[in-house]
Order: sequence, then C-alpha cells, then structure tokens
Amino acid sequence: MSEKQIDILLDSILPLLKAGVAFTIPLTIVSFVLGMIVAVLTALARLSSLWPLRAVAGFYVWIIRCTPLLVQLFIIFYGLPYIGIVLSSFTAATIGFTLSVGAYGSEIVRASIQSIPKGQWEAASSLGMTRVQTLRRIVFPQAARISLPPLGNSFISLLKDTSLAGSIMYLELFRVSQEIVARTYEPLLIYCAAAVVYLLFCSVLTWLQSTMEKRLARYSAS
Amino acid sequence: MRGEAMIEIKDVHKSFGTLEVLKGINLSLEKGKALAIIGPSGSGKTTLLRCFNLLEQPDRGQMTIGGTTLHFQPGSSIRQADTLALRKRTGMVFQSFHLFPHMTAVQNVMEAQVTVQGKSKAAARERAEALLAKVGLADKADSYSHQLSGGQQQRVAIARAMAVDPDVMLFDEPTSALDPELVGDVLKVIRQLAAEGMTMIIVTHEMRFAEQVADYVVLMDDGIIVEEGPPQQVIGNPQSQRAIQFLNRVTNYDVT
Ligand SMILES: Nc1ncnc2c1ncn2[C@@H]1O[C@H](COP(=O)(O)OP(=O)(O)OP(=O)(O)O)[C@@H](O)[C@H]1O
Ligand SMILES: [Mg+2]
Repeated sequence: MSEKQIDILLDSILPLLKAGVAFTIPLTIVSFVLGMIVAVLTALARLSSLWPLRAVAGFYVWIIRCTPLLVQLFIIFYGLPYIGIVLSSFTAATIGFTLSVGAYGSEIVRASIQSIPKGQWEAASSLGMTRVQTLRRIVFPQAARISLPPLGNSFISLLKDTSLAGSIMYLELFRVSQEIVARTYEPLLIYCAAAVVYLLFCSVLTWLQSTMEKRLARYSAS
Repeated sequence: MRGEAMIEIKDVHKSFGTLEVLKGINLSLEKGKALAIIGPSGSGKTTLLRCFNLLEQPDRGQMTIGGTTLHFQPGSSIRQADTLALRKRTGMVFQSFHLFPHMTAVQNVMEAQVTVQGKSKAAARERAEALLAKVGLADKADSYSHQLSGGQQQRVAIARAMAVDPDVMLFDEPTSALDPELVGDVLKVIRQLAAEGMTMIIVTHEMRFAEQVADYVVLMDDGIIVEEGPPQQVIGNPQSQRAIQFLNRVTNYDVT
C-alpha cells in the first residue's frame, strides 16, 4: 500500500464509521423493532379463526415475499410521490424494511407459536386462563425462545440489507463508501474498508444474539 | 344418588366426525366423593373427563357442576364466560403433566392464582409453597420441570390444579406415564386429597388403587357405561359380560 492509499484509508475510516453509527444502525434497529410488532400481529392474524384477517395477512406476506425488496423501496420512495405521498429517504426506507421484516418475521413467529404443544394450551385453559392470557403468559415466552435464533439471523441480514437504502438517497454506510470511491478512485481499498465496518457491526450483533439466547435458554434441558 | 350432587351429567353425547365416542352418558357424584372411571382403551374415558371442563364440548346433553348447569345442543356453543366459570371450578391433571417449562415449580403453581384469581404475587407464592409442601416438594420450589422426575412433575401439576381451589379434581391416568417406582408417591398424594374430602374423578388403569380410593366406579366400554357402583361390586363382582372380560384382562382376580 502506498502512503497516499494509507492517507485515503485513514481519512475514510471515520466517515464510514459515522455513516454506520448515524444511519445504518438506526435504520436497522427502528425497522427491526417496528417489523417485529408487524410480524407478531401478522402471525396472530394468520392463526386467527376469522378468515378476513387470515386473508389480509396472507396477501401481505405473499406480496412482500414475492417481490424484490429493491423494487419495493423504489415504489415507496420514487413511486408514491406521483400520488402525492412524498417521504424522506429515512421514512421510505423504514417503511420498506419494516414491511419486509414483518412479512418474513411473521412466518418465523407463526411457526414458533404453532410448535408449542397443544398440552400447554390445554393446561392453561383448564386453569381458567383466557386465550389472551395463555398467549401472553404461556405461549409467547416459549415461542420467543424458539424464534430467537432465526429472528437473530433476520436482524443480521437486515443490517446488511440496509445497504439497499443507499439507492433511495439514504446516506448509509455503503452509499458513503460509494461517494468516497467516486472521489478517490480506490474501489478495492474503500469497499474493503466498508466490508470491515459491516463485519464489525455484525460481530457485535452475533455476540449479542448468543448472549440473549443463553439467557432465554435457562429453563431448557441442557 | 344420596347427598348433594356436586356433578351431574345427563345424556351426554360426543362425536368426532362420524365416530360417536360418547353415546349418552349419565353420571352423578356427591360432594366429597371419589369416582373412578375404568374401561378398555378407546372406550371414551378421556373424552368424558375432558367434557367436564369443556376441553371437549359435548354435542348434546346437560351438565351441572357445583350449581352451574350447562345445556348442549348441536350447532350452539357455550358462552366464553360460562366456559371460564366452569373451568375455575374444576382442576385437571393430565397424563403427561403439561407443566409450563419456562416457569419454576412454584411459578407454575402461582400462575393461575395471579392471572385468573387476581391474587397478589406474595399471597400466591405463600399458597403455592404450602401446596408444594403438601405434595412433598417444598425443596423443589425453584426447579424447572426438566430438573424434576416424572413423579415430581405430576405432583407439581396436582398442586397447580389445586391452587385455584376447584370444587372437583379431574385426573386422567395420572400415573400411566410414570416409571413404576414413581407411581406410589403420586397415588399417595391423590389418596390424601380424597381422604381430605376433595371431590374427584379419576380415570385409571390401576385397579387396586381404584378399589382403595374410589367411592364409586364406572366401567365404560364403547362410549357407554356398562357397569357402575361401589368398587367391591364393579371390580369385585361385575355382572355384564363386557365388564368381566375387561377385568379379567387387567387384573389377576378371577372374576368369573
Ligand atoms: N380429538 C379427537 N379427534 C378424533 N378422534 C378422537 C379424538 N379424541 C379421541 N378420539 C377417539 O375417540 C375414541 C375414544 O378416545 P378416548 O381418548 O376418550 O379413549 P380412552 O378411553 O381414554 O382410551 P385410553 O385408555 O387409550 O386412554 C378413540 O377412538 C379415539 O381415537
Ligand atoms: Mg385416555
């Protein structure tokens, strides 16, 4: 590496980290939290005994799963202004990723809820607990433990997928690295630096995930 | 029957699809008495027991538990409030325990006291600890179910069902999932409850136990009651051919 390259690298590291901390991470966390709320509600709707609820939820999951995320983001950010809905790139990205997490997450949540043995429902019912009480006190805590590993994976994927938000003008880590490359003509160096920053964030998340899994696994047979 | 009927069911029918599992069951049980239900596999014992707390809803018939009467008709369902009210009067103990695995023993016993009865945590814990002591598990209060033997899990399950002060306890083959050496502890707890005057219905394959604990025995076969009465009569001196066949198979007694 030449001295000039080292200078460029040193100058780039800070903006890349900043973009990650100020843009990539907030988008990831906000979308994931909102997405999980959507996921749980969608899962409950799909397990509901009311067919209109099941139908709406099934339609939503179908649309989101069977169209590319990038296309969804473009529709939200570039398309909606034509019917008078103008969104900031952060809002548009948050909506897009929330819907995505909600749809994929709902499948995970639904499978986890369905994997709780019928006997748990019956034991709770026989004690006089209502359906809602049973969900809240008996089924969700157990389903959460089962869904944590796959949801952790979704979270980590989401962190990386936020790089797509660069294409709708959101100044996240990848977009910032592209801008630096345009200025410096050092694609190998800068994109590798961006990859290292993603790697760093991802490692922290992976560690957090395994810590949480251990805490939740307290009661399971070892 | 004599005395105040705690439970009474009349002409209860239940089908699963085209399979009629209960073909008109009549039963009544006085407060403080223990009823054992025996009979061959598939005769409808579990289904009948589950009807008492509406885990299965009868298609037809009528059921009275502790003064609340419900009528069943095809196509109409029981109101949620009535279902919950009835379930608060009955405690159910399952063949395979169904403890809540994410809770400790004491939390299992506290749960319904807090969520269903609205008790404070402190009051619920106090009662839960007393019940665990009663079933001989005072020292296991903080264990999770995977840290307990089957017999211990079943005793926690009994304490859990007792915690909401049911009028009637329902047991579905409470010992048949247990290793033989663990059966005794569970039966001892049930025997003690019976001695204290708990009204109970026990589905069991343990004929000796039924003889010792039950005030009445009913023998079911193919969805009907084929024999009923005190244990000496039903188990010791059955009249019907089907009862004799069944008892010959499950006991060492020569009843012919
Ligand atoms: N949910 C269900 N759906 C369909 N059929 C059922 C259902 N529950 C029970 N049955 C059928 O009803 C019949 C009676 O079952 P039940 O479990 O009441 O018998 P049981 O007397 O308790 O037998 P066992 O001694 O083997 O426990 C059986 O033929 C069983 O297959
Ligand atoms: Mg059975």
